[in-house]
Amino acid sequence: MKKELLAMILAGGQGSRLGCLTREVAKPAVPFGSRYRIIDFTLSNCTNSGIDTVGVLTQYQPLALNTYVGNGHPWDLDRSNGGAFILPPYQHMAGSDWYTNTANAIYQNIRFIDNFNPSYVLVLSGDHVYKMRYSSMLEEHLSSGADTTIAVYEVPWDEASRFGIMNADEDGRIVEFEEKPAKPKSNLASMGIYLFNWPLLRRALIEDEADETSDHDFGKNIIPKLLGEGHKLMTYRFSGYWKDVGTIRSLWESNMDILDRPDDIDLRDKSWRIYSRNPVKPAHYIAPGARVRGSALTDGCQIFGDVEHSVLSHSVIVEKGATVRDSVLMPGVIVREGARLEKVIVGMGTVIGRDAVIGGRSDTSNPYHESRLCADNITLIDGGLTLRDGSVVPGNAMVHNDVDVKGAESVIVDTEPVPAL
Amino acid sequence: MLRNCCGLIVADDRRIQLGELSRPRALSAMPFGGRYRIIDFALSNMVNSGIRTIGVSTYNKYQSLMDHIGTGSDWDLDRKTQGLYLLPPFINSESYGMTGPTDDLSGVINLFRDLKQKYIVILSSNVLMNADFTELDTFHHDRNADITVMYNRDGAKGGPPNTILDMTRLGRIKGVYENPLNPVSNRSSMGVVFMERELFVQILGDAISRGESNIDIDYLLKQYDRLRVYGFEFKGTVLRINSTQDYFKETMRVLSEPERSDIFWPERPVFTKVKDEAPAIYSDSCVVEDSLISDGCLIQGAVHHSMLFRGVTVSGQARLTNCVVFQDSHISEGCELENVIIDKDCIIRPGIKLIGQAAYPVVIGKGSVV
Repeated sequence: MKKELLAMILAGGQGSRLGCLTREVAKPAVPFGSRYRIIDFTLSNCTNSGIDTVGVLTQYQPLALNTYVGNGHPWDLDRSNGGAFILPPYQHMAGSDWYTNTANAIYQNIRFIDNFNPSYVLVLSGDHVYKMRYSSMLEEHLSSGADTTIAVYEVPWDEASRFGIMNADEDGRIVEFEEKPAKPKSNLASMGIYLFNWPLLRRALIEDEADETSDHDFGKNIIPKLLGEGHKLMTYRFSGYWKDVGTIRSLWESNMDILDRPDDIDLRDKSWRIYSRNPVKPAHYIAPGARVRGSALTDGCQIFGDVEHSVLSHSVIVEKGATVRDSVLMPGVIVREGARLEKVIVGMGTVIGRDAVIGGRSDTSNPYHESRLCADNITLIDGGLTLRDGSVVPGNAMVHNDVDVKGAESVIVDTEPVPAL
Repeated sequence: MLRNCCGLIVADDRRIQLGELSRPRALSAMPFGGRYRIIDFALSNMVNSGIRTIGVSTYNKYQSLMDHIGTGSDWDLDRKTQGLYLLPPFINSESYGMTGPTDDLSGVINLFRDLKQKYIVILSSNVLMNADFTELDTFHHDRNADITVMYNRDGAKGGPPNTILDMTRLGRIKGVYENPLNPVSNRSSMGVVFMERELFVQILGDAISRGESNIDIDYLLKQYDRLRVYGFEFKGTVLRINSTQDYFKETMRVLSEPERSDIFWPERPVFTKVKDEAPAIYSDSCVVEDSLISDGCLIQGAVHHSMLFRGVTVSGQARLTNCVVFQDSHISEGCELENVIIDKDCIIRPGIKLIGQAAYPVVIGKGSVV
């Protein structure tokens, strides 16, 4: 059956700047904001915009993501006609190819898209936190008569050189695209959200694939190619909350935004719900003597200690005398009696031993010190670990199994696989 | 696991009225435990015990019940074969417009006559527990019983309806008394019955021919003089909801241990309809202690020993003690509430004081503005 608009979500990236959090899980499946995974925002935007056919392109560590998306039921994408499709790379007569880049990934799924014979294809990333009405974007696309519409976001001028920048005329028509320009002429950054007329994109993908000098990337190759051919590319300005959760710092910040800027991301908006797949757990319990302030909690948590300015996912237990401050605890984390956490991100299912002290000031001599990925005294603890009672891990550290801790005692006493859900 | 068994949930009970709380809904559609409806426990116990074909019999006010269970997908009961069957009263062109009791039984017998499972578990809706019925099956076969009923030792304290069982030392039932003045024992039926499906259909057919029109689990037990009826003692936490006072008392009970863990936290999860609320948000100034809080709540005031359902907002300087607040109600600034049950979608305006008694809570009906 013909679909007017079909969405393709690029969800195969590793997200290597999230360090150990994405060792076993693709970035879109990383838990976020107490109840969600990052990809929930994109999937819910699709559903809320009336898009009922969504391809999710997976490649890197797909187990958690595949399990999570499943048949698309939580997002109302379990359809007889359309629905959610997981699209991994595949084998064919001539061999097999990984998805080498964004445009190549869509190219390899031309047959999937052709099945629905769509007029328009929306290409999305699975790792941004934002709420966008794609149907409004389509309306603008139709009324401007564009061949391609690209969502743009106004970034501060001093940060513009970190983004792909769209130089547009006063009508919003794109005249030039510059990837990370040293001297930006505009501060309109591409959000990596592209709306194409399918016949045009289809041809461009095939031609780009045949071009051996191309990197098969949307920003680097497809968009300049379409511009060069003289097609009408328009910007679609977006001004709401938008965050690319690419680094440990931005992951921590955007979690804290739920507490500090609740009206910006507004998760309580009933007209634009963010849907998610969650195991069925009881309401959360706050014990006598516990203290919970300025925090977000969800089903299955049991709090006996002190929680302040933190974001807790389902089934987190904070025992008596433990304190958790400015932290992000992912599903199933247990903080044992007397432990103290400050500005820590803890991965799924990890147990923090009794009286452990995690986070705080940076200590460059600590074996877990990680200057490349951690910043702002944020500490990252991998999922599936059990940390020794009384262990001390300072700020800017990343604790995971691959660290060689010669001369010092490892704080890890046990490791289990990170659960997929 | 029960592999060859179907289930029947008697979703309402004419003997039980919860006043204002049951005015808009059937008993089994009553919200309970922060995010559940009463029927979730019955459905989850059955599903967790391996039962995949379940009939739900109801006689009126079943809209919110249908709303809640839908196709049964939240219990994985939306199957091509087997699954969930909602059984409202049987109305055909002949009975339409007739006064008198509704016919609850014809629909039930039509469904269960045609099923293939050998056994059936029948549950009433006013008793909550988290149980695995496999034990019941084992016991049933050990005793070579015709009918096995689950009971516990609540008999002495329970208000009506209270079905007291008189049993021999081997557990065979020799007497069934409804609301006796002087109970012969403290064994009280939990309204959970295990038997062969064909025997059930036969007794039901019998009852219809005698002019019965309602499902009465006690009617099955009263066959003790001609069938081998046995009692099986359940040792876990049992919550009985026979009145508004019971509802309040049992809700307060699950805030503490061991009841909280017994009901909500065993290996067997309680499934319910998924609502995609935001996480609960605690403000910098809130004080929350000894309470069960659901997703979507926004808490700025003080909450002690209370249960908040989904999407409840408690504004600054409001104080809740021993309260039960249903979905999406709003408590404004400076309110002081103690021993109060607030139904869905209520608004308590600023500065209102409502003080009930532990034995007699104040109830605010659905959608009220106080």
